[in-house]
Amino acid sequence: MRYRVGHTTTYVYADQVDLASHMLHLAPRSLPGQRVLAATLTASPHPTRAHESRDHFGNNVAWMFLDQPHDRFEVTVSAEVEVSFAPPPPPGETPAWELVAAAARAGGHDAWVAAEFAFDSPMIPAEPAAQAYAAPSFPAGRPILEALLDLNARIRREFTFKAGVTGINTPVSKVLAQRAGVCQDFTHLMIAALRAHGLPARYVSGYLRTRPPPGVPPRRGADQSHAWVGAWMGPQHGWVDLDPTNNLVVRDEHVVLAWGRDYGDISPVRGVILGGGRHSVSVGVDLEAI
Amino acid sequence: MDEMVDGRGGLRPHWRSLIGAFSALGEGGLRERALRLDRAFEEEGVTAVLPGASATALAWRCDPVPLPLPAAEFADLEAGLAQRARLLEAVLDDLYGPQTLLADGTLPPALAFANPAFLRAGRFMDTPSRLQFYAADLMRGPDGAWRVLADRTAGASGVGFARENRRLLARVLPEAFRPVQVRQLRPFFDIWQDSLRRMAPPHGTRPDRMNPTIALLTPGTGHPQWFEHMYLSRELSCALVEGGDLTVRGGAVFLKTLRGLQRVDVLLRRLDGRMIDPLELEPGSLIGVPGLLDAARTGAIRISNDPGSGAVEAPALSAFLPQLCLRLLDERLLLPSVPTMWLGEPRARALVQQDPGRWLIRPAMDGSAQAVAPLSLEPEDRAALLARIEARPWDWAASAAIQPSMAPCLDGDRLTPRPVVMRLFLVHDGTRWQALQGGLARVMDEHDRLAGHLPRGGLSKDVWVLNEERGDIVGPPVMPAQRLAIRRASGDLPSRVADNLFWFGRYVERLERAARLVRAAVARLARGAALLPREIGELQSLARCLAEAGCIRSEAASPAATATLAEALLASVREGGSIFGYFGEVGRLTESVRDRLTGDMYATFTQALRTVRADAALVGRSLDGLSHAMVSILRYSTAVAGVAAESMVRGGGWLFLDLGRRVERAQEVASEVAIAIDQPPPRIETGLRLVLELCDSAITYRSRYLNVLQPATVLDLVLADQGNPRGLAFQLVAMHTLLDELTAAGPGREQLAGAAAGLLAELEALVQGVMEADDQAVAAAALPAHLAAIGSGIAALSDRITRRYFALLPVAQTLGMAAEPEAIILKGVA
Repeated sequence: MRYRVGHTTTYVYADQVDLASHMLHLAPRSLPGQRVLAATLTASPHPTRAHESRDHFGNNVAWMFLDQPHDRFEVTVSAEVEVSFAPPPPPGETPAWELVAAAARAGGHDAWVAAEFAFDSPMIPAEPAAQAYAAPSFPAGRPILEALLDLNARIRREFTFKAGVTGINTPVSKVLAQRAGVCQDFTHLMIAALRAHGLPARYVSGYLRTRPPPGVPPRRGADQSHAWVGAWMGPQHGWVDLDPTNNLVVRDEHVVLAWGRDYGDISPVRGVILGGGRHSVSVGVDLEAI
Repeated sequence: MDEMVDGRGGLRPHWRSLIGAFSALGEGGLRERALRLDRAFEEEGVTAVLPGASATALAWRCDPVPLPLPAAEFADLEAGLAQRARLLEAVLDDLYGPQTLLADGTLPPALAFANPAFLRAGRFMDTPSRLQFYAADLMRGPDGAWRVLADRTAGASGVGFARENRRLLARVLPEAFRPVQVRQLRPFFDIWQDSLRRMAPPHGTRPDRMNPTIALLTPGTGHPQWFEHMYLSRELSCALVEGGDLTVRGGAVFLKTLRGLQRVDVLLRRLDGRMIDPLELEPGSLIGVPGLLDAARTGAIRISNDPGSGAVEAPALSAFLPQLCLRLLDERLLLPSVPTMWLGEPRARALVQQDPGRWLIRPAMDGSAQAVAPLSLEPEDRAALLARIEARPWDWAASAAIQPSMAPCLDGDRLTPRPVVMRLFLVHDGTRWQALQGGLARVMDEHDRLAGHLPRGGLSKDVWVLNEERGDIVGPPVMPAQRLAIRRASGDLPSRVADNLFWFGRYVERLERAARLVRAAVARLARGAALLPREIGELQSLARCLAEAGCIRSEAASPAATATLAEALLASVREGGSIFGYFGEVGRLTESVRDRLTGDMYATFTQALRTVRADAALVGRSLDGLSHAMVSILRYSTAVAGVAAESMVRGGGWLFLDLGRRVERAQEVASEVAIAIDQPPPRIETGLRLVLELCDSAITYRSRYLNVLQPATVLDLVLADQGNPRGLAFQLVAMHTLLDELTAAGPGREQLAGAAAGLLAELEALVQGVMEADDQAVAAAALPAHLAAIGSGIAALSDRITRRYFALLPVAQTLGMAAEPEAIILKGVA
C-alpha cells in the first residue's frame, strides 16, 4: 500500500515564548517492508537553527531552536510511504516463549539488540499486575506467536477504548484497574506484560490509515498519532508488530514512524520553552491511501 | 594487614621518620595538633555539607596521621590506574559508538541497557575524548596488594578536600614534613587547568583559543560538594556557574553576564550527566541547560567528563575488565579490582548461595550504593534480598568481602589501627594520564562497608607520596597566553552572582533593621507597667514598624497587646520566625557568593553569623537574652559592612552589594519616619524623638540643636542631610553614584541614576516645605503620605535594577513529556 502522510502539531501559547528548543520524532523511518519515498518537515515560525540526525534506536530525529519571540509553533510532516510488511510465520512453528526469553537474556549474536527492550524503562517500570494479567496467555511451552496473538486479542476484548481517562504519564497499574484507555495505554500495558515474562517488547509510534479499506469496520486510533507493540520472537523470526487497540497484526494499514523503549524515547514533539504561560496543543493526522 | 607495622611487629621503613616526628612532639602534643587541625577546617569553612543551611553543619575532619606511600609503590598504582583510565575510555567509546562489545558478547547487554547512567542521547556523539578526569577508590587486602573498589568516571569529588587536607596539615604539623620529601599536589592542578584549556574547540571567528572561557557547572549551593566546586573553580581559574547562568543560542553556549552573553568553550561538569539537558535527558531537570547536548554534538562546546561517562562506574563492569583489557588494549590488566561477579550469570548466583559469608552484595549499576553482607542480615531480610536478586539478577553484583588494611589513627592520646580506603585522582594531559601525587584516604566506620561515597562527617587522611631522591615532578610547560586587555570594572560578573550580592546586601540590612526595632521595643517592654504614656505611644509606633517590616504579624501590633507583642518578638528568633528566616537567607546568599569573597571575608561573615545564631538559640523566653541577640546581630551587620568596605574591590560585585544595602535602608527610613510622625500635631514631639532613636541620630542632633526638638531640624537631619549615613538622603545619593557608575558605559543611565536623583529632589522639596511652613507640626503631620510615595519610588527603582541586570526570566516548561498542559517549572533557565 502507498500512503500520503500529513501530521501537523500546533502549540498555541497564552504568553509570548522567548526561546524554544524542540526535539522531534516526526519523520518516518525506512525499514524492511516500509519505503519512505519522500518526507519533508516544515515549521512556523521558521527556526533559527535546525538539523536532523539519527537517534540511538535508528529513528530520524530533528532539532529546532527558535530565538525569536512567538506565541504559536506549528510543525508539519508530509511524507509518502509504501508499506507491505511480511506476514508473520505460522504461530505453531515459532519457538516456546521461554526460549525466546532465554535468548534475550543471553545476549550476543542477534539477540543483543533485542535484549535492550526486555529491561524496564522510565515510563514502564516493572508491574507485577501486568505479569499476572498476561500469565493466562503464557502457559509453559506455548509457541511465542500464539501467546502474543492471544494477549493481543484479550486486550482488545477486555479493555474499553476511551479517550480522556488517561494521560501521557498514566501508569500501567491504573490502566489495568480501570480496564480503559487509549492506544498508548494498551501498548504500555502489553509491553509491561511481555517484559515481565522476560520478553523484549518495544513501543512503536506511527499512523493508522484514516479510512479503512472497503468492507472493513473503522479502526480505533485513526486520525491521530497511533502506537502499538513490537514483539520479539527470537533470533530466527525477529520482530512482529501487534496493534492491541485493534487486535491486528501490522501488515499494510500502519505506517511506522519510530520505535523506542516507551513513549518517552520517541515523544513526537518534545521541547523546553521559556515563557508561554498556559498553552494548548492540537494534533491533526491524515493517512490517505493513494 | 597493617600499614604501619610489619608482620613481626616492627615499623615499616617509610613510617619511621613520621613516628619519630610524632614522638618529638611530646606527651599530648599530637592531640593538641589534632584539635588545631579541626579548628582550622572549621574556621576556613571547609565542609562536606552546606554550612548556611543549618546551625549544625558538619566541618570536614582530617586525622593528623597521614598515610605515607613509598614512591615505588605509588608508581605501580599510577601505572595501573592510567591503564584502567585508558581501558574505561575505550569501553565508553565502544558503548557510545559501534557497540561491538555487546555484539560479540564480551559484555552482556544489561551493562549498557539496564544501566541508568548509559545515556542513549549520547550515542554516536562525535567527541575527541570522553574522559579527562578519573578517580578510583582502592583498598589493600590481607595479601598486601592494592585493589580497586570503585572506578569514578563521572566526576569524582574529593580532590579539593585532598588539597585542603595537605595545606592545613602542613600548617598545623610542619615538623612531620621536615624529615621527608613529600610530593607536591599543586602541579596536578596546573596540568588539569591546561588540559581543560587544550580541550577548547577552535572557533573560526575567535583567534583567542589560548584564552578560552572555562566554566565549572555546579548544581548550586544546595549540593553536598558545593565547597569543592567553589574550591576547584578557583584552583582551575574557571567561572563557577549554575545551569540557569547558561543559555544556548545558535548552537553555542553562553554565560549571562552583566556585560551581556559571553561564549563558553569548555564545561567542567560537576553535575550528574543525566541532569544536564532537559530537552533530551531528564525532562524535569531544574538544573540543566536545554540544548546543551546539541551544542556538544556539533562541537561548539566540550564537556568534561562526557555526560555519559558515568556508564562505566557500574560495579558489575569490574567482573569483565580483565577480558576487556585483553580485547581492547591487548594488555594484561595491571591493577585488578576487588574480585567482583555480576549476578546476571547463574554461575555467580550459585557461588553466592553456596557461601554467602564470602561476599558483599551491591547494586550492579550504582557505584555509590552501600554494599550488604548477607550474613549480617536477619534471616527473613536475607531471604528477601535473595528473592530480589532472583527476580532481577542483572541488577546485582557481588564483591569479595575483604578486610581492608589498617592504618593508625589518633584516638585520644594513642594511635589505634582502623580500616582505610584510599581515593586517587588522575587527569589526562593531552598525551597521557597523570596522577595527583597524593590522595584522600578515608577511615571506614563499622557500618559502612565498601560504601562508595566520601565520608560525611567521617574522618579523612592525607595520603603522602614519599620521594626517594631530591627533585620533584615538574608542572607542565606554560601555555602561551594572549596579552590581556586591562579591565577595571567586572562586567563579566555572572548576572546571578550580581543578583545574589544585591540580595545579600538587602538581607543583611533587613536583619539589622529588625534588630534595631526589636531592641527598641524590648527596652520599653522590659520596664513593664512603669511605662510613661509617651513610651506607650512609642511602643505602638515600634510595633507598627515591626509589622510593616514583616517581623511580626499585624495582630500582634494592636495597641492593647503588650504581652502579645513580647511573645511575638520572642517567636521571631525561633525556628519558623521571621528573623530566624533571615539567618537562613543570609547564610545561603553568603554561600552563593562565596567564590567572590576572600577566605578572610568569608570567615568573618560566617563566624559572626554563627555567633548570632548561637545567641538567638539561647533566647528562650528571656527578653534580656533577646536584647543580647539583637546586639549580636548589629555587630554582625557592622562586621559585614566593614569588611566589604575595606576588602572588596569597587567593581561590579561590591557595587551590587552596596546598592542592595542602600535600597533596603532607604525604604526602611522612609517607612519608619512615616510611621513615627504619623501623630496628631500636638504629639509630634514623641514621634520626632523616636525618629532620632531609630535613625541612630540622637547624638548628632543634640550636638547641633541641644535639647530643642523641632520638626524641621529633626526631619532635615534624618531625611535631607546628605552627610548622615543613617538618613534617607545619604542612601539616595549613594544609589545615584552607584547607578551612575554602573550605567556609565551603557543605556539606562537616565532611567536608573536619573530616577535616584529625581527622588532626592522630591525629598529635599518636602523638607523645605516643612521648614517654610507656618506651623511645622501641621506640615510634618502631612508628610507620611509623601514619604510613602517616595518609598514606592524606591521600590520601583529596585524593580528596574532587577529587570535591567538580573535578567528576570520567564518560567520554563517542558512540552511533550508530561500530561499537557501541565507545566514543569524550571527556574531561571534561558
